[in-house]
Amino acid sequence: MGKKLVIQPVTRIEGHAKVTIQLDDAGNVDTARVNVIELRGFEKFCLGRPVEDLPRITPRICGVCPWSHHLASAKATDAVFGVKPPPAGKKLRELCNSVAYMEEHILHFYFLAGADFLLGPEADYSVRNVLGILKAAPEVAKRVVRVRHMCAKMLEMLAGKPIHPQAAVPGGFSKPLRLEERDQLRKMADEALELAKFSITFAKENIFPKYLDVVKSLGVITTGFLGTVTDQGALNLYHGKLRLMAPNGSFSDFPYDQYTEHISEHIEPWSYLKFQYAKNWGCFSMDLEKPGGIYRANTLARINVCDHIDTPLAQKELEEFRAKFGRPAQLTLLYHWARLIELLYNAENAIRLLDDPEITSTETRVQVTPRAARGVGCVEAPRGTLIHDYTTDADGMITNVNLIVGTTHNNAPINMSVTQAAKNLIHDGKYDQGILNTVEMSIRAYDPCLSCATHRLDGKLGVRLDILDSNGRLLESLAN
Amino acid sequence: MAEMDLQELPEFCLKPTLILGCGNILFGDDGFGCAVVEYLQSHYPVPADVCLADAGTGVRKLLFTLCLSPARPRRMLILDAFDVGRAPGQLFELDPAEIPAVKMDDFSLHQLPTSNLLRELQQHCGIEVRVLACQTAPLPGHISVGFSEEVQQAVRKAAERIATEYFIAPAAAEPGGVLWNTRV
Repeated sequence: MGKKLVIQPVTRIEGHAKVTIQLDDAGNVDTARVNVIELRGFEKFCLGRPVEDLPRITPRICGVCPWSHHLASAKATDAVFGVKPPPAGKKLRELCNSVAYMEEHILHFYFLAGADFLLGPEADYSVRNVLGILKAAPEVAKRVVRVRHMCAKMLEMLAGKPIHPQAAVPGGFSKPLRLEERDQLRKMADEALELAKFSITFAKENIFPKYLDVVKSLGVITTGFLGTVTDQGALNLYHGKLRLMAPNGSFSDFPYDQYTEHISEHIEPWSYLKFQYAKNWGCFSMDLEKPGGIYRANTLARINVCDHIDTPLAQKELEEFRAKFGRPAQLTLLYHWARLIELLYNAENAIRLLDDPEITSTETRVQVTPRAARGVGCVEAPRGTLIHDYTTDADGMITNVNLIVGTTHNNAPINMSVTQAAKNLIHDGKYDQGILNTVEMSIRAYDPCLSCATHRLDGKLGVRLDILDSNGRLLESLAN
Repeated sequence: MAEMDLQELPEFCLKPTLILGCGNILFGDDGFGCAVVEYLQSHYPVPADVCLADAGTGVRKLLFTLCLSPARPRRMLILDAFDVGRAPGQLFELDPAEIPAVKMDDFSLHQLPTSNLLRELQQHCGIEVRVLACQTAPLPGHISVGFSEEVQQAVRKAAERIATEYFIAPAAAEPGGVLWNTRV
């Protein structure tokens, strides 16, 4: 009788996140499924609201990536009102994006992925924590703390508040940057750049070589990729056109407000979340041998789709990366390497923007007038291409909202990577906590954005591994 | 690398008392913690040695920073909504030490175990950590702003007691005193 392994945190809202691995009668993996929650009721909540409310509301959707929602929303409102922010407004938004990226990529690499690489995937969960990493690498941890503090301080100086930003407004940015603030920020950006350089060097010397076998095998699938590039084909995380790259490296570019002509949705009965796929590539399929329409977003995708990076240090790293892994690179754990290239790019980009005399201009926004319109805003969130699509009536009240978050693009690839990892690791019904943690590594690489719609503190949450037979009867339960 | 100047640290690391309101105001009673912070800010003068902040859904990032910071508050109060089967609106305290260590799905930063971070702060970083919880009415399964009547009243009660213990007469409070009589 086949067995089903379930990795599921118990949450207040049903179906927050769940991994189910179905074994066949021989104890080998048949299928694996990953369910993530999607934000429900958002459109209904927004109906009838003034569209300018959305850049204030949407940062509350997610406690980890508020800036991405804030900026995508602001861009959508620009489009609805039919305006373009003045150069200073645009550059301030982009600067905030780069700083927020730095804070997040540092946190993710050192304290999420870092637990896998510094402590090892077999490490007991009780040491896979922040203090465990501090003990393992105290000097690195101190440096990381300092730069993260600085990034938060930078955002507070730029936007007035570090949590739940509100500074990006329809038509631009609410707060000009003073010269003395710019000078302070410039010094901080320099230090952030030093950490970015250290991080990628540290990882290339101490981490990636040690885990190259895992990198080459864990969760490896073959897909296309989606990301944003400038008109010149350079990486850009704030603005550009979308590039959809097929597994063979060919690609098509399109304006992001035409995304519905290139991206479609597939529904599975067992999933809360839809599966995005490239509609012009044929039918949707998550078959590992013959995937159909599948593409990935997030760091590796962006590194793959861009022709080059227009900052020198990151470009040099990109060249080295491509010399090793080709283009497009498919190994899933390379998301972490790509993340460090982006960290470097964002530090260089922040310096470039701060050195731009336009950024201290006091003209940071333009006036807006309500009208009946549809507007699309798109940014690259750390987890993937984020699209906010709003429609308003003549008074500027919302009549329709659609969001595509980064993780939605990766829903199918995550399922495929977990299936691949589980099939390679679990045989004859044998598994242990280390193996299950290694399966989870394949999900962590994507850094999926599970909705932080609510959260729990009560510790009753836990990972419970239920082994069910094919009739759903509980055979065995492992609890931490 | 330059040694860290303590003044470069954020306020929540530097002040002796840290009060963090957690929750999502888009999901009904889940926004309890944020509402208490807002009530305190608008009804009471906050003493200079208290950092009062609406952490929203971003508390994990703050707790990370606290774990690693060279400067930390002496005591921390977390305000949060819970669903543990009590009567809606009931206020009670939780001790992080009593919460069993559990593994969470650490797929992403969204899933990091807040309870584990609190325990680390309490047991390894020397911070007195208290959690003031409010039992919610059933939470909506979709975005829905607004509190149940019971939790609305609990916001005011919680704010009054916090102000008494932390703002108005902190010297009179017993060390490790309990805000409410019932504990999980």
